[in-house]
Amino acid sequence: MKVLYGFEYRRGVSVIHRIDPRSKMIYVILFTALTVYFVNPLLLLLVLSSSLPIVAISRIGSRWSQSIKGSLFFIAFIFIFNFIGIVWATGSVYDAVISGISMSIRFIALISIFSVFFLTTSPEDLTQSMVQVRIPYDYALTFNMAMRFVPTLSREAQIIMDAQKSRGLEMEKGNLIRRIKNYIPVLIPLIISSFRRAELVADAMESRAFGASKKRTSLYVLALGKRDALFILITVLSFLLLLSLRLVLGIQ
Amino acid sequence: MAIIEVQGLSYSYPDSPKPNILDVNLTVDEGEFVLITGPSGCGKTTLCRCLNGLIPNSYGGAFSGRVVVDGLLTTEHPVYEIAQRLGLVFQNPENELFCTTVEREVAFGPENLALPRGEVRSRAEEALGVVGISHLWDKSPEEISGGEQQKVAIAALLAMKPRVLVLDEPTANLDPLSARSVLNILAKLNTESGVTIILVEHRLEMVAHMADRCAVLDDGKLLLIGEPDEVLYSEAVDRMGIGIPKAVKVAKRLSFGSKSGKKPLSSRDLADIIRGGKQ
Repeated sequence: MKVLYGFEYRRGVSVIHRIDPRSKMIYVILFTALTVYFVNPLLLLLVLSSSLPIVAISRIGSRWSQSIKGSLFFIAFIFIFNFIGIVWATGSVYDAVISGISMSIRFIALISIFSVFFLTTSPEDLTQSMVQVRIPYDYALTFNMAMRFVPTLSREAQIIMDAQKSRGLEMEKGNLIRRIKNYIPVLIPLIISSFRRAELVADAMESRAFGASKKRTSLYVLALGKRDALFILITVLSFLLLLSLRLVLGIQ
Repeated sequence: MAIIEVQGLSYSYPDSPKPNILDVNLTVDEGEFVLITGPSGCGKTTLCRCLNGLIPNSYGGAFSGRVVVDGLLTTEHPVYEIAQRLGLVFQNPENELFCTTVEREVAFGPENLALPRGEVRSRAEEALGVVGISHLWDKSPEEISGGEQQKVAIAALLAMKPRVLVLDEPTANLDPLSARSVLNILAKLNTESGVTIILVEHRLEMVAHMADRCAVLDDGKLLLIGEPDEVLYSEAVDRMGIGIPKAVKVAKRLSFGSKSGKKPLSSRDLADIIRGGKQ
């Protein structure tokens, strides 16, 4: 679960933190597209390195590296399955290795891009930006509340786990399937209590006049400024530069 | 002037075999501080939900009688309309704070009312100031203590400028010190701003002397209502599972009431009477 730490927002004061989520979203969309479009591992490595300056400026290095470290486990899986698949289909071990490397870098690049976005964007700014791109407020609020209740739920999961262990549930025992089954006595109470909690939260929302007006006010409004223009400019230019490597130079 | 009128209120939840509230009549005047107590499961929470219209509007079930809040009949007005007159604070602050910062939490109500942005901001700042937690504005509800969470919840309702505040065991999850600090805020709101307070509470020790009237609920019925000393010194309350203040218990044993007519509610009153000797 350590991967998740690499996505959890912590307050920061860097320029990147203050850039509008919508501008950062442009970076996420363009560079995600590149990870899908590129095949050559070196090009993918360039896409991955695009997030390095952002990491440096926003000083999120330690958390970002946690997300990367956490993803290494998945990479082993991806590499092996990809390798087997390619060898099966083409019989070429060389192709399989190259493709496995590409797949792995592609995955790390995706993790890196999204991690950078979530690490530098506060949930409230993200919610507000969703409202401002005309996503209905109900959905934006649902998203915001999901972010709010993640730590609450994980604490509750821990409490339930402790309670079940103290009644003799041995969670670390048995083979893989057995271990998955061991989670059922934790999951069921967690789900039920989450439903109850959801009802209470709904009561609290109604008690604060939720739904009183179709067009509600927002305490803060995001505005695109000079730093957003600069960020978008750099993003688009580097996107075009990378794109031209394939389109003009013909590197796959 | 009556700000809340409850007449012949009976209610049972959709799958409940027996009524959760049975024939409750209650009138609360503007500016009053009413304390409601009673053993667990007596219908206190249900009564609170009836007061702000969550029952029957969001819960369904069998509802009869009338509840009028500041002129609004709860069966005819949606919860969001009643919420602007009557704020309801819940027992567990963890479930009533759903935003990612304290400031957003407090602004949520005024935002819903579509007030101008400047007004939303000034109301949020004012409400945080009233409960004394302005310094927490940028904290996440996860990062602050239970007492502070409950103060945020109170501020979030005050930002909507309700005339009545109903609190459902607001100190249940708090240590004595934070509980006192929350209760003191209520007393201040009541005396200084004239907010009508209806407080459901087990810790009578801390609040009995603040209240104008005290009501005892049992098994969905309103058994007793009257001035706190009348109610707490009555014989009926002894047999019920409610937390009678120690000062009252001691005074009862010494049969103060019958001898001197003095009915102390807090340990301070009791000490004064004892110190005063024969007066």
